[in-house]
Amino acid sequence: MDIEEKGSRKRDIEKRTLFRELFNIFSLTGFLYGPLDERLRFRDALEKQLKKTTPHYRFFIERNFLACLGGITFILFLIQLLTGVLLLMYYRPTVAEAYESIVEITNNIHFGWLIRGMHHWAANVMIITVILHILRVFAVGAYKPPRDFNWSTGMTLLLLTFTFGFSGYLLPWSQISYWATTVGTDSIGAIPFIGEALKYFVRGGPQVSQLALTRFFALHVVILPGVTFIFLGLHFLMIRRQGISDPL
Amino acid sequence: MKKNEDIKGEPFFPHHVLKQLIIILLIFGLLIALATYIPAPMEIKADPYSTPEHIKPEWYFLISYQLLKLAEKLDFLGPWAPKVIGVLGQGIIIAIIFFLPFIDRGSERYPHKRPIAIILGILGVISFIILTIWGHYS
Repeated sequence: MDIEEKGSRKRDIEKRTLFRELFNIFSLTGFLYGPLDERLRFRDALEKQLKKTTPHYRFFIERNFLACLGGITFILFLIQLLTGVLLLMYYRPTVAEAYESIVEITNNIHFGWLIRGMHHWAANVMIITVILHILRVFAVGAYKPPRDFNWSTGMTLLLLTFTFGFSGYLLPWSQISYWATTVGTDSIGAIPFIGEALKYFVRGGPQVSQLALTRFFALHVVILPGVTFIFLGLHFLMIRRQGISDPL
Repeated sequence: MKKNEDIKGEPFFPHHVLKQLIIILLIFGLLIALATYIPAPMEIKADPYSTPEHIKPEWYFLISYQLLKLAEKLDFLGPWAPKVIGVLGQGIIIAIIFFLPFIDRGSERYPHKRPIAIILGILGVISFIILTIWGHYS
């Protein structure tokens, strides 16, 4: 009886923690389901997710940094979405106005310099974290079957990240972005048989001009985010299905 | 992986979530600091009629840039060779990395028990760094 009493007091204390309160607030959203909540208990589902354990890594650096690189990359992607949408509010994708709108964002719009700077830097940091993430997965052999398919969705995400970088580079329509894109798309022409046609398709004409800017803009702002979401979904679903690979 | 059964992982909530929030805040701090102290570059407006002297891509494309430059040395094979080999060679390297798990089928995960893969990986990282720096200064 004494033990039982102690136990119930302990449970009472557990119930009163801030996290417990937060959890109760979250679980209230089950009401939004209405009758659906009867069949799929929101509270149970949430509890199951929150109680899931993350693997125990032995080394401090692995636990706090190396194992987080994929997650950090995803956070950076979300920051890119947010800052990208904000930039989109003021950016004008025309040859005549693109550069002027970037100058305006940087100099006149409130905190425009900060949003543009964060977009610029998050893009660069994202490349670093994504490469480090791949190197870690390679080093601990986490790409081995059954996670071989997920390595390929991850590599697709890497290629998408590079394409994001390449297409975003043209958008300010500055001297360096114009000529880097001219040289970059020029090397597409070297692919045998389809190269020239592909180059013409990417540029929308023989030279980098308004059509190229429009195409790169559409690619950077609509097509790439959409495709990236699909592959992120696949990447995460596979992790959920197969679990995080065991720490060595 | 029997040892994983007796080591309990940490619960996702609140332990892991709290740690993630700290990391997210640190990332925001880093980005704001970078954007403040090293602002995004602002070059002059594009001029299709004047080619600048040195055209360099973003740093993460420098390896590709330098490989294309190195492939120019293959022009003794014919005028077609440098560009085609440069571009296709890179395509093959990307394809090998892309399909790595389907080429390397062993199930061993410990780094010291698969020396060939690890040595190739280290060589790959070293050549990435060297070619990037070389591309920056060439």
